Amino acid sequence: MTSGARRAAKVPPALEAWEVFRQEKDGDPMRHGGSVMAPDAELATHYARELFGRRQESVRLWIVRRADVVDLHDPDLLQPPLDRSFKKPGGYVMRDKLAAARAAAGQAKPKARAR
Amino acid sequence: MTTARGEAARPTAPPAPSVEGLDDLLRSMADDEFVIGFSDSEWTGIAPLLEEDIAMSSLAQDELGHAQALYGLLAGVTGAVDADTLAYDREPTDYRHARLLDHGRGDWAMTIARRYLYETADAVRLRALTTGTWLPLAELVGKLVREERYHLMHVGLWLERLASTAGEPRDRLIAALESLGPDAGTVFTPLPGEPALVEAGILERPMAGLEIAWRAEVAPVFDRLALPAPPPTRDPARGRTDHGQAFDWLHGEFTSVRRSDPGATW
Repeated sequence: MTSGARRAAKVPPALEAWEVFRQEKDGDPMRHGGSVMAPDAELATHYARELFGRRQESVRLWIVRRADVVDLHDPDLLQPPLDRSFKKPGGYVMRDKLAAARAAAGQAKPKARAR
Repeated sequence: MTTARGEAARPTAPPAPSVEGLDDLLRSMADDEFVIGFSDSEWTGIAPLLEEDIAMSSLAQDELGHAQALYGLLAGVTGAVDADTLAYDREPTDYRHARLLDHGRGDWAMTIARRYLYETADAVRLRALTTGTWLPLAELVGKLVREERYHLMHVGLWLERLASTAGEPRDRLIAALESLGPDAGTVFTPLPGEPALVEAGILERPMAGLEIAWRAEVAPVFDRLALPAPPPTRDPARGRTDHGQAFDWLHGEFTSVRRSDPGATW
């Protein structure tokens, strides 16, 4: 039989994890919804549809084999030991310097703009 | 009935030209969807893997939803109280689903084979109703077709998987198809009111013609997968009656809660 031997009989196809991203409405970003276990992309698509779309809660799904995701989880690269607070936008407080500059120039603090 | 501006030329739904024929058609379709929906819901909790459990349960719920909508139309035609009355308060002998669906859940291969035969037949039947002249039905069918598309995709995928996996999966699928085959064509059992439905333009053509179309559609799939195509229908005249003991049991199951407190508001 030619069509009958795609896979060996007693070896069930291995399940693997697929990550599912969903878009709630047009224009929204794709957000991670969760994951499904499936033996291939086709069934992963069906299961993603059932788990993340059957209640009409998504307009688009991305289904990505977890093994295809590039994983970066390296503390040396992501959490370096030295102080990097100066790279954060919130790490440089301008308030006191502005107040000093205004005082030197003899200007009052501008009032809140009328709406 | 008020008509939106610009739609004045649109023909309004003609009154049902043959109430008796509509009754037969709607009951057979609704009972099909109800019985396969309930039967497949038996997989909830025991399907081969968790994701498939959810998928099959969701599919079964879809079918029950379709049955509810069709029973709703039927209630409008016959004056029955509501969809629930039609679904739960009839005697087993009053159900008109196809004998194909009297085959119980069985193993996974049986469920896939039964669903594949039913879904492909249902698709042909629905197509023959989309252009129907009775708008309430034609519009509902338009919605059903969109959901059934996914059902067909899912069951077709499983049929392929089982058929092309040598050994137990393929053997069990063939056994299921051989057991169901002679009853597969019962979805197209001629309806008593059928000539009137065709004449009124509600049903595109007689069930016999739809059965030929269905066989022509599935033949290439069975051929490609080297599976036994459904043989001619066994006892075709009684394809939607005489359901026997298997259905008595199923009927007892799906009416048990309703019968536990008749008339209760749930």
